[in-house]
Amino acid sequence: MRPRRIIEVGLPRLLAWCLLGFLFVPILVVIPVALTDRDYLSLPQDGMSTEHFAALADWGKGWLPSMLTSAGIALACAVIATALGVTFAVGAWAAGGWWPSFMRILLLSPMIVPPIIYAVGMVKLWARLSLLDSYTGVVLVHVVLALPLTVLAIGASLSNLDQRLVQAARSLGARPMTVFGKVILPNIVPGVAAGALLAFVASWDEITVTLFITGRAVVTLPRRIWTSIQDAVDPALAAIATVLLVVTVLALVARALVERRQRQQKF
Amino acid sequence: MRNFKTTALLLTVPASLVAIGLYAAPILQVLALSLTEPKLGLANYQSLFANAAVGRVVMTTLKVSVMTTVLTVLASYIVAFAIIHMSAGWRRISLFLVLMPFWISVLVRAFSWITILRRRGVLNSTLMDLGIISTPLDLVYNLFGVTIGMVHYMMPFAILLLYANLSDIDRRIMQAARSLGARPATIFWRIWLPLSLPGIALATLFVFVFSLGFLVTPALLGAGKTLMIAEYISVQISSTSRWDLATSLSTMLLLVVGIIVFAAMRSPALRAAFVARPQQ
Repeated sequence: MRPRRIIEVGLPRLLAWCLLGFLFVPILVVIPVALTDRDYLSLPQDGMSTEHFAALADWGKGWLPSMLTSAGIALACAVIATALGVTFAVGAWAAGGWWPSFMRILLLSPMIVPPIIYAVGMVKLWARLSLLDSYTGVVLVHVVLALPLTVLAIGASLSNLDQRLVQAARSLGARPMTVFGKVILPNIVPGVAAGALLAFVASWDEITVTLFITGRAVVTLPRRIWTSIQDAVDPALAAIATVLLVVTVLALVARALVERRQRQQKF
Repeated sequence: MRNFKTTALLLTVPASLVAIGLYAAPILQVLALSLTEPKLGLANYQSLFANAAVGRVVMTTLKVSVMTTVLTVLASYIVAFAIIHMSAGWRRISLFLVLMPFWISVLVRAFSWITILRRRGVLNSTLMDLGIISTPLDLVYNLFGVTIGMVHYMMPFAILLLYANLSDIDRRIMQAARSLGARPATIFWRIWLPLSLPGIALATLFVFVFSLGFLVTPALLGAGKTLMIAEYISVQISSTSRWDLATSLSTMLLLVVGIIVFAAMRSPALRAAFVARPQQ
């Protein structure tokens, strides 16, 4: 009985932990490479050095301007995508019917349609409108790609909202805009915040379409990383990867702590 | 009454205009260009099917996508199955380990794999220092490297989908089976697996569709030697300016993805899994 149990329960569990290791251990390799004392991609040889992190802060090396570019574009994208997402999700929820359902499918389709196809279309369109390699062009494309996320996040919040709240407000004589602004909106704040955050991250990370609609003028952080990976020499690349890794882990830990506090408050 | 509904419909207008003008229109233009560039007709599609280079690219894409999908779904099922059987504390830790790569930039992940797998990379130098191999192995810039990178990219998605599906299954069925004397293997093959088929189908669909049109990881880990459709299209628009090829190939890709998704959504089990997915 015992050996059988090891094969049926122990082995799959061991395999699962190995696979979890496969998921996160390879990412950690950027940390020692970022600390190398050489000026090419390698593990530290005669001691560690932080010079590659210092290079990130050097304005002339281009990493800092790209970070600011990406942050600015992501912020603009988050504001616009959230505004469009909120109005659409709330309107579709309140109106119902075939038009909102149809538009919802169209708005969500960038999640399934391969982005390379969209890139081909946008290169043509932006070339005609002279928006290639412009901030406006990048922000608008990022808004389209972020909209599915904001619509889904806000939609999730709305599906928990009680329709009777709206009926009560309307039967008491509230005007339509009052219902939307003072009854619905305050009740979906968590969804709106989640949508804005997702839109920011989507824009900050976007590379596939950005690659084709930008050139020398607008160099987002992912675009600079992409070029740098193809050269594959500069250890500053490992340093920026380490910074992104640490920020992601801190954000996830912060979220876990907030969730834990909320759980404790409930009891 | 009418006033409220009109206001609600008006609220959907701005996002709809953006979706139509900046998403539907450019994509429809790609479809139109494939039929008109350089002249009206199906000539682009005829030359597409006669083009040997395109044939090779399509074969590579299918090979990598099928391998990625099989490996990803198998590995993700093992992980998701283990996670739902863990205690709450371990489950939180495991989900953290899944979410970390999920949120990390695809570029950072591709870069990590290049650092590990290249000829003078971490893996090769470690193996050579240990005397296991004498010459470095070719682990990246080929089919092997691309597939590893893609499986690593897709696994968090698939694990989260399968985890959501598996946690919905009523555990009392397994208790009943056990009390009737069923062994763990029997419970797995006769209960767990059949009940998780909708989740497996959904994960397979997602991973396969994402793989078909994936640009970043294949381009960086294949470096032009393992060429997949998305990268081939990107070469046509950025360096050779072959818009006929780029638009007709994009249209075919869109058509294939559309048919797969449409066919999958016709299956009631899959639609149910898609709609009833709980909030992650």
